[in-house]
Amino acid sequence: MAGGAVPGAGRSDFLLRFRRSRNAVIGAAIVALVLLMALLGPSLVGHDPAKVNVLDAWRGPGDKYLLGADALGRDVLARIVSGARVSLTVAVSVLAITLTVGTVLGMIAAWFGGWIDALIMRTVDIIFAFPELIFAILIAAMLGPGTSTVIIALSLVWWPGIARLTRSLVLSLRSEMFVDAAIACGTPVHRIMRRHFLPNIVAPLIVRASIGVGFIIMAEATLSFLGIGVQEPTPTWGAMIRDGLTQLRTDPHLALWSSLALGVTMIGFNLLGDGLRDILDPRMQER
Amino acid sequence: MIGYAMRRLVGLVGVWFIAIVLTFVAVQFVPGDPIMALLSDRSGDPVLEARLRADYGLDRPLPVQFLDYLGNIANGSFGLSFRYAGTPVIEVIAGGLLITPMLALLAITLAVGLGVLLGIVAAVRQNTWADTAVILGLVTGVSIPNFALSAFLVWFLSIKAGLLPVAGWGRPEQLVLPLIVLVVPPTAYIARLTRTYMLEVLNQDYIRTARAKGLRERLVIWRHALRNTLVPLLTTVGIIFGGLLSGTFVVETIFNIPGLGRLAIESIFARDYPVTMTIVLLFTVFYSLINLAVDLAYAALDPRIRLTGGAG
Amino acid sequence: MMLKTMRTLFGTSALVAGLALAGAAVAAELRTNIPADPGMIDPITYSELVAGDVLGNVYEGFIGLDADGNVVPALATSWEAHDDNLGFTFHLREGVKFHSGRDFTAADVKYTFEQLLIPGNRGGLNASYLDPIVGAQAVKDGTTETLEGVTVVDDHTLDVRFTTPDVLFPIYPFYFMDSGIVEEHGPEWFNSVSAGTGPFRFEAWDRGQEVRLSAHEDYWGGAPEIDGVRFIIVPTGDTAVSMYEAGELDLVYAADTAIRRILVDDQFEGQRITAPAAQVQYIGMNSNLYEPFKDPRVREAVCLSFDRQAMIEGLYDGAAFPLYGQITPGVAGYNPDFPAIPYNPERARELMAEAGYPGGEGLPPVKMQTTEPNRNLHLYLASQFQEILGMPVEVEIVERGGHIRAMNAGEVPFFHWGWSAGYPDALYFLSQMWYGPSPYNRGRWQNDEYDALIEQAQQTPDEQERYKLYHAAENVLMGEFGTCGTTMRMQVAVKKPNVEGVALTPFRFLPFADVTIAE
Repeated sequence: MAGGAVPGAGRSDFLLRFRRSRNAVIGAAIVALVLLMALLGPSLVGHDPAKVNVLDAWRGPGDKYLLGADALGRDVLARIVSGARVSLTVAVSVLAITLTVGTVLGMIAAWFGGWIDALIMRTVDIIFAFPELIFAILIAAMLGPGTSTVIIALSLVWWPGIARLTRSLVLSLRSEMFVDAAIACGTPVHRIMRRHFLPNIVAPLIVRASIGVGFIIMAEATLSFLGIGVQEPTPTWGAMIRDGLTQLRTDPHLALWSSLALGVTMIGFNLLGDGLRDILDPRMQER
Repeated sequence: MIGYAMRRLVGLVGVWFIAIVLTFVAVQFVPGDPIMALLSDRSGDPVLEARLRADYGLDRPLPVQFLDYLGNIANGSFGLSFRYAGTPVIEVIAGGLLITPMLALLAITLAVGLGVLLGIVAAVRQNTWADTAVILGLVTGVSIPNFALSAFLVWFLSIKAGLLPVAGWGRPEQLVLPLIVLVVPPTAYIARLTRTYMLEVLNQDYIRTARAKGLRERLVIWRHALRNTLVPLLTTVGIIFGGLLSGTFVVETIFNIPGLGRLAIESIFARDYPVTMTIVLLFTVFYSLINLAVDLAYAALDPRIRLTGGAG
Repeated sequence: MMLKTMRTLFGTSALVAGLALAGAAVAAELRTNIPADPGMIDPITYSELVAGDVLGNVYEGFIGLDADGNVVPALATSWEAHDDNLGFTFHLREGVKFHSGRDFTAADVKYTFEQLLIPGNRGGLNASYLDPIVGAQAVKDGTTETLEGVTVVDDHTLDVRFTTPDVLFPIYPFYFMDSGIVEEHGPEWFNSVSAGTGPFRFEAWDRGQEVRLSAHEDYWGGAPEIDGVRFIIVPTGDTAVSMYEAGELDLVYAADTAIRRILVDDQFEGQRITAPAAQVQYIGMNSNLYEPFKDPRVREAVCLSFDRQAMIEGLYDGAAFPLYGQITPGVAGYNPDFPAIPYNPERARELMAEAGYPGGEGLPPVKMQTTEPNRNLHLYLASQFQEILGMPVEVEIVERGGHIRAMNAGEVPFFHWGWSAGYPDALYFLSQMWYGPSPYNRGRWQNDEYDALIEQAQQTPDEQERYKLYHAAENVLMGEFGTCGTTMRMQVAVKKPNVEGVALTPFRFLPFADVTIAE
């Protein structure tokens, strides 16, 4: 196993391979851009994304509004930048929750086995029985629309995958020699988990996470598009696309730019995820 | 093999029962009172409200309601719809029952076929510009939100070019646009996976041996490499199918197809709980059956699986 | 059941394929859109808008409307009030045939009334008009199935007696149905046969797809020129317009989201039909729930702080008119001299200061609650109130059923909503929305003088006298700014050039009896 044994060499090796992978570099660039947008926020742009100016409704791109205005005369560019913040907040929250919960549960299941393992894995199976988005829609319908609902729903959908991955990784690690040695030395369980397991599962988890971000952002957009996600007046790309599509024929700018924002962000995360997998997945090293 | 299949089926029934319980519980939490939605502008009438509540059995204690629900599933009616007063749910969804699965199966077949082909092309021409172009195209395919894609396609192909109908159901031309939108993301995903697995396989020793033996390249790819690519690919088909089923929600809504997906969205907004519950349940059953089929196929190809009782 | 589904699926495909092949022969069907399946297809439980659009072509009542929204006789050719003002005698039209072939008689009217009132039938909207009839309560209680106050004098004369006066009874809309239909076809008759007198008969309802009507050859007004009507179910307004553009629909009633596209795009030149909607839109200010609304100066300030012109141009693309009072033009009893309410932010601020809330200081936070389709409107209003009055307003989107219930229960402090006329007379607005005891007085504004004027109007048969009472009542209401009108929306529709005879009134489309479709 490449990762855990020699940490120092692994890191510079990683950076070297990262720079070589075209996908990872382009992806990282896009993601960095989106992050920048989210961090700086609409102050970057100048217009207030919430300022209603009804006489400017659907005004086209021009000198006043760079990308045009929406149904209430609000600046599209400012709202797209704000939307980046929302999408990333949701994505980061969901990742934080699912990675924590999923890893812990997966490790517990793998280590203790028996009925604990069975319980956790049955739960995972049940959630897996529902198609992903449908499950999210059901939960969102249950909890009522809102940002926290989206985060909860997507976390519930996503953690089983992490748990299952962690469990199989830990199971295969457990049979390694150094684990037996550690147990023989009397090392407590949590230290074994932290020192021996964690470093070895970080890589696959990162790959899974970066692929997952794409799904999470798209799912949030779909939920908002259907009207059960993030609510007004918070701007979100999904809702902007929905509003924009009704006027596609006469005022395409809203739908166009928000779709582009969503699409490019997705491409960025997908490329990054692809690139990371190419680099970190040991099976691919022969290439 | 039969034993394995039987064991999995029994497990599935257990999962289905839990799904029934979960959907029932979930729906109790949905905000919004369906009786109020029914009454709508007439909600100032408490007598009518009480009567409707009794008609639908909503004034009974929850456990009794659950038993009623189970009974309704058993007799095939799945209860009464709220929105279409007095109509059994099964009648409301009957039209869509055939449509959505048909769409989904058609889409997955096309996606697998096209995806594998594209993936092979990309793998074989690795690191050429064709490969990069295909990858870029594939990543884009997975990244475009399907609702945006639908709208743009309709704009260009239906209205500007007049080539295809905008929406509806019943004629074969009306299938084209919805299928394109449904098929693009999974095709892209499958193509990328195929390319990855194919590349991995192509670097294996036995392929080098086959080439060294002087076997024609085409034979190498089709007979040896493909076989070993398809097996891991099979396991992901289940997940892809789940995404496809979810995709039908949006596509059916935009293209005005009277399928289960559109009905599900409408019923959620109309607070028509029985219809929502039934559709979610049916989707889950369908999805789990597809997964079972995939697992059985995988087990048939890889004996290790059925002997140890399951992967992971 | 499976077979039925298969048959439906194949049947529809075959039918559509056959139609496509047959081409010109069946082109004379009007294809129009409805936004959802009708809630019901029978005239008794009828209680929602989409069902009304369909059933209005199949069933008729005493009166109908002309293209300007005025009342014209339909199944009743004339009527007189009783001397004591407690009833009417109706003279019914002769020679009218039901879709079943039977003759329409007074017995069918009495039967319809009874069916509406019998508790097990879940009588819908039309049942509420029958409350003043003698014996109506007894039927509703279930003690009898015979309506005492209605007498069948002869085949074409009907006598109706009331417990309290109801001068507008003759213009209430009804759907008279064939009294013999249940015997022949059982309690689920409406799924397969048609029991009305209207220009079209019900043929079939393909759930999720369309409702089909076919022409009634023996219609008393003359058989329709077209062979039938197909109401195609298109939930997304935008899709409906796209289908129209692609030639798949002949007539499209535009949903809110599609109006701008129709008005702005030149290709619809000459195909647009518009008519103001007989719908009052108002701002509800419930003083029971928000202290500041108890002060009429605060209410006036609210009414002065939004710009109707900006709303019309920005939110509605010009497809609306300013509305100041609570009666819309085109409805009997409208006051054309009603004074305009200006957009006056300075005066609004002055009033707030006078009321003790200078710059909004001391105003508790308040939520404007509404449904998704009204989101933009509320966001605009909220931003105006915040900016001009300093009012801490938040907008909350909730789902429709719960919202309507909450409004009816008087639980929503601050909202913008509308009320559509059920029959063409201003009393509908004034009595349903602002009369104290009305269950639909969602703003919970109450004034004894107003209530007295309404009660008086309900008993005044002379039109001009009654209209004076309406104006007086409206002045009382608006004098203390119990509410204010905002705008009156325009209905927008498009029809293909080869379609003629479509009439869009303030009360939506007239039945399609006179429609012709040229080749």
